Amino acid sequence: MSQQSRSGAGTARRGRSQIRLRWGFLVIAIVLSVFAARLVQLQAFDPGAYAAAAAASNIQNVTLPATRGTITDRNGKPLADSVDGLAITADPTLVTPDQAPALATFLANKLGVDYAATLAALRKPDSRFQYIAHQVPARKANAVLAEARSQGYNALYSQRDPIREYPAHDVAANLIGFMGTDGALGGIEHSFNDMLAGTDGKETYEVAANGTRLPLGSSSTVEPVDGADIKLTIDSDLQWYVQRVLRQADEAANAVNGMAVVIDTKTGQVLALADDPTFDADDPSASPAADLGARSLSQVYEPGSVEKTLTVSSLIDAGKITDTTREVVPGALYREDTVIHDAWSHGTLHWTLAGVIAQSSNIGTVLAADRFGDGQLHAYLEKFGLGQRTNIGIQGESPGILPTMKQWNHEIQDRIAFGQSVSVNALQMAAAVNTIANGGVRIDPEIVMGKATTDTGDVVGTDVATKRRVISKKAATEMMMMMERVTDPATGGGYEGLVPGYRTAGKTGTAQRVNEDCGCYDGSHTFSFAGFAPADKPRFTVYVAINVPPSTAGSGGGTAGPVFEKIMSYALHKYGVAPTGTKASQLPTTW
Amino acid sequence: MSSTAAAQARRPRWATNPATDALQRARLFLVPRSRAKASKVPFIVLVSALLVGGVVGLLCFNTSMQQAAFSEAKLSQEATDLAAKQESLETQLQRLQNPQSIAARAQAHGMVIPPTPAVLHVPSGKVSGVATPATAVSTPRLWGTEYRHALMVIQR
Repeated sequence: MSQQSRSGAGTARRGRSQIRLRWGFLVIAIVLSVFAARLVQLQAFDPGAYAAAAAASNIQNVTLPATRGTITDRNGKPLADSVDGLAITADPTLVTPDQAPALATFLANKLGVDYAATLAALRKPDSRFQYIAHQVPARKANAVLAEARSQGYNALYSQRDPIREYPAHDVAANLIGFMGTDGALGGIEHSFNDMLAGTDGKETYEVAANGTRLPLGSSSTVEPVDGADIKLTIDSDLQWYVQRVLRQADEAANAVNGMAVVIDTKTGQVLALADDPTFDADDPSASPAADLGARSLSQVYEPGSVEKTLTVSSLIDAGKITDTTREVVPGALYREDTVIHDAWSHGTLHWTLAGVIAQSSNIGTVLAADRFGDGQLHAYLEKFGLGQRTNIGIQGESPGILPTMKQWNHEIQDRIAFGQSVSVNALQMAAAVNTIANGGVRIDPEIVMGKATTDTGDVVGTDVATKRRVISKKAATEMMMMMERVTDPATGGGYEGLVPGYRTAGKTGTAQRVNEDCGCYDGSHTFSFAGFAPADKPRFTVYVAINVPPSTAGSGGGTAGPVFEKIMSYALHKYGVAPTGTKASQLPTTW
Repeated sequence: MSSTAAAQARRPRWATNPATDALQRARLFLVPRSRAKASKVPFIVLVSALLVGGVVGLLCFNTSMQQAAFSEAKLSQEATDLAAKQESLETQLQRLQNPQSIAARAQAHGMVIPPTPAVLHVPSGKVSGVATPATAVSTPRLWGTEYRHALMVIQR
């Protein structure tokens, strides 16, 4: 009986638990169904929108700016450098409407940003990320952020934003260019922008509701690839000296502008390429827009008598004349369309070719050039590099103007023979004269040490500089001997240009300048001087050109000559070049 | 009853009746179920300890990780600050090293740039080149003149 009742109770209990179990299963099934339905809803219908919504709510995307490469001079001194800066950003959702004006005032005072723009950024609806200030020096930015936090503003953040610095200010600014707010403007900065810029990285991380980064939240980082450095062949000390000497000469001559080039004769490396007036790369807006480039590359002008060195050395190379060839030079030379004069009036003179060069006679040079075969001078000038860009890697260089063979005729040849009707840029002319210094072998002038690729795909630099023989060594030596007579006070124009104690080869140029508005000679001049020293073992080629307004007193030798002498002296001194100790050329100039 | 007992007593032990023995053996009787109840307490304590220990351990681990992350953030901020400081000092150095500021300082000390190079050959004591005394004018002017500055302003 008792056994029966026990077994009866057991059945009842089993029944109840089965019911409980079924109910339990039912509840679980319902819950799982809800989950499944939600899953289908999330995954099947527009999953992207949900993912995006999730990302927007707590995922922060930040660009990690790559550090821009440094531009240094040949000794590694920085001419353009990137330093750590911070961009200050704000999360407008954390700024209460009545806080915004006070915060905007605070930021305007501390960072010098525009009040109205900052206020607008702080009030931007539906945004959690607004830029307040770019490129704030890191120390200053951190100080401002700390102060803001202490005053109870929690909506400000910072992120990397490198600053471009030009520690040498105006030294080589014409070559370096500068960074504008929208990117590189001019010079190396512009030409090699892709190489210098590197590739920005990206960082994604989770933030908490209050905007702070979750320390253990999920994050992913693509590291930025920093830009490559560029080393120039420029010697910043020499460049500085050249710029100062040039400026002083320009000021003294009341010049429109001036240019000077120093080339390492054997390597073709440009040690200095100066323009005046120029600008401070750290404060480009302080200078007129016209001064923000490199006139030494972009501006073309007629080189005048300096070009005679190319004409005469070509004639010697072609075997037409020698340095002792005798010329009878009349006071005026009547040609097809014009009368050619010398810079000063004289009767008929008996000069050797050395005398023609030393005294810079147009008539003597034209008479000598009559010995050229058809188009021969054109071919030589082309080989000297006239009419072609030097392609040192700075955009905006002008190729100059060398009349084509089609345009070529006897009148044009007459004028080109003494440096008219042909236009050059300063570096081009310096490289051509350097050809004579380098024993007749032209070497590409280069400004980039090693090699670098421009944005347009050109590979430039000392590693890829090419050489070509233009005139024979003998012709170059004879030309050098004649050019030494220019700097000799006894035979030259009595001008300066000679570095005392050193054999110095030089050539003056006093060219009429073409006024671009009228296309005529308006009385303005280009005073220039090119030369190299020590003449018998050249180390440097220096070229100076100073453009003066109409009716300015002066000449190539008198105005540019002393600049040449100072620059050459400084270069010889700085690089410890001793005089060769040999006797200077004593070529006869008259007969 | 007693006769049976006597008969049984009389019967030698070895003369047992097999049938009775079998019966005797076959008789089953209820043995009280021994409920040696194992104590649940140690098990519960163990599980609870594991659970609590696990949770607390995880919490501690997490906290220390967070702490490490925070101190990492703090230290990296400090590193950034120091790097910024170093950089600003380097910038300052670069500015001091620029040729213009060196020249300005040298000039303030009365130094000038020599006009013409000359070389002294120590073994022979001979000088090549023309040794020329430096003068105040052999150094170029370090700053542009007011006139040029004014001209620039007008052009602008």
